[in-house]
Amino acid sequence: MSSESSKKRKPKVIRSDGAPAEGKRNRSDTEQEGKYYSEEAEVDLRDPGRDYELYKYTCQELQRLMAEIQDLKSRGGKDVAVEIEDRRIQSCVHFMTLKKLNRLAHIRLKKGRDQTHEAKQKVDAYHLQLQNLLYEVMHLQKEITKCLEFKSKHEEIDLVSLEEFYKEAPPDISKAEVTMGDPHQQTLARLDWELEQRKRLAEKYRECLSNKEKILKEIEVKKEYLSSLQPRLNSIMQASLPVQEYLFMPFDQAHKQYETARHLPPPLYVLFVQATAYGQACAHMKSSQPPRQDKTLSVAIEGSVDEAKALFKPPEDSQDDESDSDAEEEQTTKRRRPTLGVQLDDKRKEMLKRHPLSVMLDLKCKDDSVLHLTFYYLMNLNIMTVKAKVTTATELITPISAGDLLSPDSVLSCLYPGDHGKKTPNPANQYQFDKVGILTLRDYVLDLGHPYLWVQKLGGLHFPKEQPQHTVIADHSLSASHMETTMKLLKTRVQSRLALHKQFASLEHGIVPVTSDCQYLFPAKVVSRLVKWVTIAHEDYMELHFTKDIVEAGLAEDTNLYYMALVERGTAKLQAAVVLNPGYSSIPPIFQLCLNWKGEKTNSNDDNIRAMESEVNVCYKELCGPRPSHQLLTNQLQRLCVLLDVYLETESHDDSVEGPKEFPQEKMCLRLFSLLPTVLVQLFFTSTPEDGPPTE
Amino acid sequence: MERAVPHAVPLGQMEVFQALQRLHMTIFSQSVSPCGKFLAAGNNYGQIAIFSLSAALSSEAKEESKKPVVTFQAHDGPVYSMVSTDRHLLSAGDGEVKAWLWAEILKKGCKELWRRQPPYRTSLEVPEINALLLVPKENSLILAGGDCQLHTMDLETGTFTVRRPWSWGGQGWMVVGSFFLDLLTLGFLLQRALRGHTDYVHCLALRERSPEVLSGGEDGAVRLWDLRTAKEVQTIEVYKHEECSRPHNGRWISCLATDSDWMVCGGGPALTLWHLRSSTPTTIFPIRVPQKHVTFYQDLILSAGQGRCVNQWQLSGELKAQVPGSSPGLLSLSLNQQPAAPECKVLTAAGNSSRVDVFTNLGYRAFSLSF
Repeated sequence: MSSESSKKRKPKVIRSDGAPAEGKRNRSDTEQEGKYYSEEAEVDLRDPGRDYELYKYTCQELQRLMAEIQDLKSRGGKDVAVEIEDRRIQSCVHFMTLKKLNRLAHIRLKKGRDQTHEAKQKVDAYHLQLQNLLYEVMHLQKEITKCLEFKSKHEEIDLVSLEEFYKEAPPDISKAEVTMGDPHQQTLARLDWELEQRKRLAEKYRECLSNKEKILKEIEVKKEYLSSLQPRLNSIMQASLPVQEYLFMPFDQAHKQYETARHLPPPLYVLFVQATAYGQACAHMKSSQPPRQDKTLSVAIEGSVDEAKALFKPPEDSQDDESDSDAEEEQTTKRRRPTLGVQLDDKRKEMLKRHPLSVMLDLKCKDDSVLHLTFYYLMNLNIMTVKAKVTTATELITPISAGDLLSPDSVLSCLYPGDHGKKTPNPANQYQFDKVGILTLRDYVLDLGHPYLWVQKLGGLHFPKEQPQHTVIADHSLSASHMETTMKLLKTRVQSRLALHKQFASLEHGIVPVTSDCQYLFPAKVVSRLVKWVTIAHEDYMELHFTKDIVEAGLAEDTNLYYMALVERGTAKLQAAVVLNPGYSSIPPIFQLCLNWKGEKTNSNDDNIRAMESEVNVCYKELCGPRPSHQLLTNQLQRLCVLLDVYLETESHDDSVEGPKEFPQEKMCLRLFSLLPTVLVQLFFTSTPEDGPPTE
Repeated sequence: MERAVPHAVPLGQMEVFQALQRLHMTIFSQSVSPCGKFLAAGNNYGQIAIFSLSAALSSEAKEESKKPVVTFQAHDGPVYSMVSTDRHLLSAGDGEVKAWLWAEILKKGCKELWRRQPPYRTSLEVPEINALLLVPKENSLILAGGDCQLHTMDLETGTFTVRRPWSWGGQGWMVVGSFFLDLLTLGFLLQRALRGHTDYVHCLALRERSPEVLSGGEDGAVRLWDLRTAKEVQTIEVYKHEECSRPHNGRWISCLATDSDWMVCGGGPALTLWHLRSSTPTTIFPIRVPQKHVTFYQDLILSAGQGRCVNQWQLSGELKAQVPGSSPGLLSLSLNQQPAAPECKVLTAAGNSSRVDVFTNLGYRAFSLSF
């Protein structure tokens, strides 16, 4: 019903039953618009609140009228019909009012809706505008950052500093009055100046190039001149030879040697030059006499020069041969199996071939003993080896135990720590060996000589430890830097070996040869005696039960020499296993003890034996005697004898509970914690009467 | 006989010397820091090395953490004895006792805090100090060694105290009251040292309940000293008891331990448990080799000496366990019972090698610290 009514919007005649105020307004409206008026316009004029009141009032009236009608109807009667009619009319009027109100409400609703819609559209339009603007702002910001981040090329150019620029640049470029305040202009000006300078430098560079060209040409011309000079000089030399011979000038001999030296392979040549130089320098330093007379170091070249020449001439051929023989080998192996061994043997020989020339070095020591060193160069292995021989001024009686001391095999062993000369120092060799089936160089060392590391260094050969490379070239500076220390080491080595040699000679006869200048180290009377001094093999040493500690500490290397000493006093027998490091006497001999007296005693079951060992091994410095302390071994042995005395005497005291007191000094008793040094001191101060070996 | 031959390394002069030194090293003494995390060990070259127990015991311990944190030259002669107070490490050996601050000991170039020398009879020969003992109640240190006496040093003043027998217990009125008496009797009551031993003293032990000190030494006697009167109250000459004397080993006593009622001692004579009040031997422990260190631990007695093993004994004389260590002979045991570091509660044993064996429980050797 209501929707229908809202659809039919008709202009309506004013009703006079409204509120008086409304009526007035309505009337004024009608006056303006004539006979018709729109209810829409009326809506604007009416107050919704009042309408609501009106509505409520109308509803109440209707209810009242209905109730009255019902009342009347139920009462019945004649007059009732009139009254009812009257009431009906009244209620009809009220219904009209209700209708009107309903229409008004609808119109209001529609109006409200329209207004909202309109407002919403407006808001949407504004919103869109805002979005547009925001997007624009974002875009602009992006552009701005892009501009800010723009990297100009000029920033990478290293410009001269500002002060320098104003100082050096001409005013038409620098334009100080403009650029001082404006950094942009300033940068531009600086860039200009930079460009200017670079142009100038490029110009200069071109000039220099042309200059260089010119100089090169000049050099070329001079070279041509010099090369034409060589044959002329040669002819002059040829011509002067008879004159030299006639005058017998010493220059000739040296020259010849130098001439031979030219055929030496590079490492030997380096060695030769450096050794000669060192020898002459030494001789000059030592005396003002003519250098030839007083020489501690003499150098000579041995071997056939012709062979060396022959070797030098066709280097390419031999290489070809090798590659050919490789190919050949493959064929021959297939054809002739039995001769494979022979062939391999030949190849080995070829690989281990020495250069026909060798350098002899004679090193004279103070006591006229001479160390002869012969240096060889193994061409294919690119290493140097040395053979050594010691000759003495007087004939030596060689003790049996000293056999190894001066043998060429071991005399130079471990000149530097760990350098035992049994392995090839050139890592590349291993690959070469693999090819011909050589396991190690060790088996050939006796024949070829020892490839000690110091020998390589004297020859200027330096082998990197890890990279096996063939590009090892002889270097003079390396050789020079090692020459002096090595020569000194060689000398001390020979001297210490000779000293040991002498000591061994008497040790073998049971005499401990304490020299007079070391006598103060020991008490006057020592009862224990050395009875045996023999050399033992490394393997035997390793097998001994009381040397375990030394072996485990890694001090028993196979490059060392091993000896067994036996010290006796009465029934007590003290075995001492001695490790003699080739570096004697800077590295001391190491003693391990085993006492056979009332059972077997070693450091593991007797603290005192342990103390004796440490007294000999660790406190060796006081036993060194006068430098160069070659007497160390002897002194250590003598100290061992003293220690055995102390041990036996004190021990026997402890034991002899009932026997007579042999040693009245209470303090002689060995302390629990083995203060042997103190006990020793007491021994010196108290010259105890000794009754010989302790009796049991 | 199989022997592992180590990889041959070329040895120079220094390396050989160092290897020899290490080979002939003897660790005489140990002491645990008050925080319980560090162990000091003193050797026969007079060096003290500080090990970090907490680092070596931690789960990510490497080989380096078993090396000393710092090593320094403390004495000229061997370091025979060390004890720790709550701040200091006291070390003694060559006739002098030196104090080091634990707080600074880990820094490089640590200097000793002070050094003291007990008053010796002659200045010609300086006897070594074999044993140190802290008396916490009195805040003093007892030293004993080569001069056959026990010296008492007051740790507060650093002086070798003159002992007034009746002022024990700090009863002030008595001190004041007898001041004049003091002056009069000074001449003969003064006692500089406890005398009685006829030979070196090797070991000391404190009876905590009664202020008495036990000492044992080369002369074979264990002497009890009353600290109040500074007199010898009891002498036990162990070697004279037939059941424990072993003449072939000598009569010297090298180790002592007491828990007030009982005392255990060993050395030349057999390791024996004594009842002190009746001074009779109760248990003789059946071990042949001389023992160099003994200690009570809970209801066990731990002892070590020649031979590789730490021995654990029941009080009845039964051998409960023998745990092998790495040194051929052991000289000192140290139980780290500092409450501050419960994770470092270990037994350490050292002796005739450069290694200190660490036993995390009493059952087996966990690893060795090495000089």
